[in-house]
Amino acid sequence: MDWFITNWMLVSGLLLSALGLWLLLPRAGGRLTLFGAAIALVGLVQLVSTLHSANWTAGDSKLTETILFSVFSLVALVSAVLMITNRNPVYAALWFALVTLSTCGLFLLQSAPFLAAATIIVYAGAIVVTFVFVIMLAQQSGSTICDQRSRQPLAATIASFVLLGALLSTIHTWQGQQLAHKTEPTVTAANPLSRLAADEPIGTLRGLGRSLFGDYLFATEMAGTLLLIASIGAIAMAPRRAEGRL
Amino acid sequence: MTGDVERYLAVGAALFTLGALGFLTRRNLILMVLSAELMLHGVSLTLVTFGRMHHSFEGQAFTIFILTVAACEAGLSLSLILALYQKSKSLDVELWSELREPDLPPPMAEEDREDPSPEEPAIIHYPRLTPAGIQPGPRETRFSDDANGATTTVRSNDQPTIHH
Repeated sequence: MDWFITNWMLVSGLLLSALGLWLLLPRAGGRLTLFGAAIALVGLVQLVSTLHSANWTAGDSKLTETILFSVFSLVALVSAVLMITNRNPVYAALWFALVTLSTCGLFLLQSAPFLAAATIIVYAGAIVVTFVFVIMLAQQSGSTICDQRSRQPLAATIASFVLLGALLSTIHTWQGQQLAHKTEPTVTAANPLSRLAADEPIGTLRGLGRSLFGDYLFATEMAGTLLLIASIGAIAMAPRRAEGRL
Repeated sequence: MTGDVERYLAVGAALFTLGALGFLTRRNLILMVLSAELMLHGVSLTLVTFGRMHHSFEGQAFTIFILTVAACEAGLSLSLILALYQKSKSLDVELWSELREPDLPPPMAEEDREDPSPEEPAIIHYPRLTPAGIQPGPRETRFSDDANGATTTVRSNDQPTIHH
């Protein structure tokens, strides 16, 4: 009980966000869309202010990164909320593409440019397009009744926000105990090729290739085999006409 | 550098939670798979953050494996969804709730499963582009017949149809 009293800012922010999301989820009758969005935004602002006052005071020296991080993370979270609450599946898929783009921006801020490019190519270029294609193939007239009702919205909201509260409070308290010397690797024996050299910047394509085809060579081969098997399985499982021709 | 790691971890946790919420509440099969991909985004962000924190490439290498698995998962799930759609002609996951254990209650309340109220449309149509320009009337086509040099005027009444 003491934990709830000392962390009342975090708990109330979580409660406000959960209430706003619960109001935003599709259900029968009219939705309180603006009210729910306002409550969810207030909860998000309270969560950010709670975590910010404790953790993020060192961000002032890198103002550009802070601004870019704020923009990308805000776009990612708002688009994710709009994706899971939109009644139209095509719009939801497009909001998912926006989440992907913002996540790639966060990857770029973390100095992972190859990952950002690969994620945009795979997700926004292949997966979202294929999903929109299947949505238009299956629901040619429009969004049906199954898109306008949620399944157990209250229980799902409670469960997911208990999970979010556990994760956020863990991150919140873990902050004081993190490694004092983050530049020194903790274990040097395992995966020596994945370690950075003394003056090597992180995120170079050369280092990533060295790690993938050095330490993780067998895993890379297994991933290629997995792709092959998955494509064979997808072709085998895909429905075909009765005559045996596609 | 102190608060640099935690905020990325917080965003990753929030993305994962929103994906879980979407997976639990949405009834469209395709949107359930997309919500699972959203959870994968959260995990990828967390892995990249930890990799940068420990100054190693392992986080980015793991994220590439996540990309591989996500591509496989999308292909397999799409073929499964198409096979299910061929059987039920709908993307509603509730149609397959008969596969549950026989002593369990139905996963949705009955009032949410029934048909919509009469003032609510059962189908919300996709938006369409508004046709631009003026709508052409019955057009006149003039052509000359080479054999006798006479000019004939043909009126055609086939108007372009606009689907709503």
